[in-house]
Amino acid sequence: MSIKHIRLLIWKEFLQLRRDRLLLPLIFIGPIMQLIMFGYVVGSDVTNIPTAIVDQDMTMTSRALADSFVNTGYFTILERPATESDVQTLMDKNRVQVALLIPPGLEADLARGEQVPVEIIVDGADSKTASVASGYAAQVFADFNQKRIEATGLVPDAPGIDARVRVLFNPTLRSVNAMIPGLVATILLISMGVVMSQAIVRERERGTLEQMFVTPITRGEYLLGKIAPYILLAIIQVSVVMVVGIFWFRVPFHGTLLVIGLGLLLFLFTVIGQSMFISMISRTRQQAQQATMFILIPTMVLSGFIFPLESMPPEIVPVTYFIPLRYALVILRTSFMKGAGLEALWPQFAAMAVFSALILGLALSRFQKRLSD
Amino acid sequence: MTDALDMAIDAKGLAHRFGSSVLAVDDVSFAVGAGEIFGLVGPDGAGKSTLIRMLSTVLRPSEGDADIFGASVLHKPAAVKRRIGYMSQRFSLYPDLTVTENLSFFASLRGVPRREIRPRSARLLEFAGLTEFANRQAQFLSGGMKQKLALAVTLIHEPDLLFLDEPTTGVDPVSRREFWRIIAGLHRRGITVFVATPYMDEAERCTHVAFMDGGRILFRDTPTGLKARVPGRLLEVCTKDQRKARALLGPYPWALSVTVLGEVVRLIVALDGPSELEIQALLSSAGVVTQCVRPVRVDMEATFAFLAEEARLDREVAS
Amino acid sequence: MREALRRISAIASKEFIHIRRDPRIMIAVLVMPTIQLLLFAYAISFDVSDVPTVLLDGDRTTASREYLAAYEQSDFFNVVGHVESQKAIDDAFDRSSARIAVMVRPGFGEALARGEKASVAVLVDGSEPNSAQLGQAYATALNQALGRELTFEYLERQAIDPTRAGGITPFIRTWYNPERRSADFLVPGLMVVVIMIVTVQQTAVTLVKEKEQGTFEQIIVSPIRRGELMLGKVSPWVLLGVIDMLVVTLVAIFLFGVPLRGDVLTLGVGTFLFVLCSLGIGLLVSARASSVEVANLVALLISFLPGFMLSGFAFPLHSIPRFLQVVSYAFPGRYMVTITRTVFLKGGSFSILWPEIGALALYAVVSLTLASVLYSRRPD
Repeated sequence: MSIKHIRLLIWKEFLQLRRDRLLLPLIFIGPIMQLIMFGYVVGSDVTNIPTAIVDQDMTMTSRALADSFVNTGYFTILERPATESDVQTLMDKNRVQVALLIPPGLEADLARGEQVPVEIIVDGADSKTASVASGYAAQVFADFNQKRIEATGLVPDAPGIDARVRVLFNPTLRSVNAMIPGLVATILLISMGVVMSQAIVRERERGTLEQMFVTPITRGEYLLGKIAPYILLAIIQVSVVMVVGIFWFRVPFHGTLLVIGLGLLLFLFTVIGQSMFISMISRTRQQAQQATMFILIPTMVLSGFIFPLESMPPEIVPVTYFIPLRYALVILRTSFMKGAGLEALWPQFAAMAVFSALILGLALSRFQKRLSD
Repeated sequence: MTDALDMAIDAKGLAHRFGSSVLAVDDVSFAVGAGEIFGLVGPDGAGKSTLIRMLSTVLRPSEGDADIFGASVLHKPAAVKRRIGYMSQRFSLYPDLTVTENLSFFASLRGVPRREIRPRSARLLEFAGLTEFANRQAQFLSGGMKQKLALAVTLIHEPDLLFLDEPTTGVDPVSRREFWRIIAGLHRRGITVFVATPYMDEAERCTHVAFMDGGRILFRDTPTGLKARVPGRLLEVCTKDQRKARALLGPYPWALSVTVLGEVVRLIVALDGPSELEIQALLSSAGVVTQCVRPVRVDMEATFAFLAEEARLDREVAS
Repeated sequence: MREALRRISAIASKEFIHIRRDPRIMIAVLVMPTIQLLLFAYAISFDVSDVPTVLLDGDRTTASREYLAAYEQSDFFNVVGHVESQKAIDDAFDRSSARIAVMVRPGFGEALARGEKASVAVLVDGSEPNSAQLGQAYATALNQALGRELTFEYLERQAIDPTRAGGITPFIRTWYNPERRSADFLVPGLMVVVIMIVTVQQTAVTLVKEKEQGTFEQIIVSPIRRGELMLGKVSPWVLLGVIDMLVVTLVAIFLFGVPLRGDVLTLGVGTFLFVLCSLGIGLLVSARASSVEVANLVALLISFLPGFMLSGFAFPLHSIPRFLQVVSYAFPGRYMVTITRTVFLKGGSFSILWPEIGALALYAVVSLTLASVLYSRRPD
């Protein structure tokens, strides 16, 4: 191993990165775009549900009921059609996703002490909004009824349950707080995974790799020289994401840099191994790109990054254990939010260590074989 | 007007700038008559490729214009394209397409009538000696075959003027001879050939030659005319001690140019300079043993060595 | 005109040869979308259930056991253990082995017997906001229901009729997808993003590659116009894209049982235009990219981030910040997701979807034109 050789290779790699007038800027624009998308889109909670209200009662009570919908902040009243049949057209046209139908005589019936059926129509074509909306609506009705009972003064000191539901670690339940720590790891996947494998395959495409090995540079030196610049870039990207996350998105940070650093390092090894392996099995950059996508998409979907593991069907869950990102996410999220240390996270660290050893080993053996062909 | 018709290329003050400062081609004007084989020689970076790419409408000139068979590359590129074929320096065919597929793709692109494509391709393949490789993917051809295929592709629409940018660079000597045999054949059919080449022996085969350096065309003449500009005789000095011989002869005013070429030192002696015997004596008195000092015919190699030296001196004097 | 058509078809058939020669492209184009669709449709779901829960019974009376049994019977809570101390709860949260903890304090039973409110604490781990939010809602609802039961029992014993106050009985009707199957919601949207990812990826490199190969200069000296080049490049992919969509649609209908209620012709026209739009994006990337790597990276970023996230296939667009809502109009995914969902689930046809179809048509024309204008003639 000669430091001089490695330095030379690193310098060459940076020269090439700089020569491409778009590549380097992209490496920095990428994380920013991801921050915006994951912070604002995936991290947003369902609100502003476009809603129509058909008020056929037009009384104080009906208006109060409608107002309590608006006051939740979840519904945005866009339309006030006169009849139910108008609702059909509005939903067909995707103008509204929820409709509240207040029947005529609501106030009078309630005054007589009757149970009045009120209909809520939700658009099942968007089932996420539908289930959230019906949950909110049920809450509104329950509060409405509760207030009526309380107002009559019928219930003095009845027994009941005083349940205090407390959310720990992330009391405001902001999705961003979970998204950003996860993004720190996923950024590595895209920038290291894509850019590095492309860089290696390009050398193979152009035949410069062969050139390299007739010089005194050894394989180990070559690999280190090839990987080091991207590790440096990765560190910068990770720092950008952490800083923007903590200061702009105001994600609380309770963890220690040691745990996060160690977790990221192990994860980085798996990513390097993975992209080296891809470069070894691809002949062109296009093929490398396709192979990357082939791995990237399941990783994003099955790791629990975007979609919670808890909501996956039980048949799928075993598959997720084979995805290194899954463990990295647990480490980063629990460390960020709960400040958990090695004593709690050792199973995840162990799993990542095993994975990085396996993947890196596989890639290196493949690398040796490939070059001796 | 007849003049214009006989004129294949008429370049008027062509210039090309890369970025804001680097002038790759600097105010170049020249004419090429129809039917010539016009050789453009000069060192790497002289601006040969840039000039060819401007003439073939690939690059837009920063200044000036050129008429190709009377049509301006600036204003009537479509008319120019119809009459020219262009073969770039790099191998520019589809590696995953076969020889025939490459040919018929470019034929259709160039608007060769459909029923003509097959016979024409067959003729060209025959002509280029590629018939037996017709179904091979281009990436699996040897260097020489690739160049011949590239040439065939540029000929598919039967252009009247062919631009070839260093067509034989990196090709083995046998293939190179072969390639020039084909060009000679084209010349006989009246096709104008404009070829950039770094090889002096290839320049010899041209009807006209221009020497380009530093973005300018310095001389333009027939090979014979150029050689006639050398005011002296060319001698070859066979010796083992070439460097010393060159150092000894260089300072003499009658030694117009001294170069080492392989085993020999080539020396251009002014017409009023010393004879072969005198030179041999002069060398041996200085301790340089010579096996021979013999006159040879002035060739392009020597001519350009002389003219380039001359141009360098002129520039030095000017500045 | 005839000459132009010939040139376009020359480019198109050449592109077909490229595709045929590289079997991996065929795999990427025809197999990948199906795999992705299967993967997404099976793995993505917004119905959280079986959230790991631990129970701490500090009272150990019949009343507390009855109360906690309600959690064990719920589908939402998956009781993974009974713990003895607060410390054990902290541990479970740290190791992420539980996300919800229910604590019954000593004196729970006695309080109820005295006719008082008995206090209970439910702790929710907020580090997984999605399940936490639902956990919070479910726990609240469960306690409300149990509390009401207790109250009504008591009132009945006191011979009071609490229903005298009158009340509203909500009836929630779900249109178009009454069982709220995630597949019905996700698959029509997924089809769109999956097709987009594949087509953008494939076309993004096509023009840069000609430049890197040097074949671009040969094309320049031919009489072909840039628009013709673009059309020729696009046409094989339009065919493949439409075939892709057909395959994915069949998978959606026959494997996932998504109902196709609307007008197939509208869906077809929409698909055709949408494929053109994605190709337009791909060509735009290719026209300006400085190298194959850049093209690949940009294609990945565009198709995966805004293309995917801002299409509305999983993340409702009305909930995102306004400036991103505006940005989402710049990607064809959102129009097409509306089209597929409306045609599949709502039985929509052209009479309803003409604004989206129109937007796609406009988008296709603009993006392809822009790509050919921006594809600079300079080979450097």
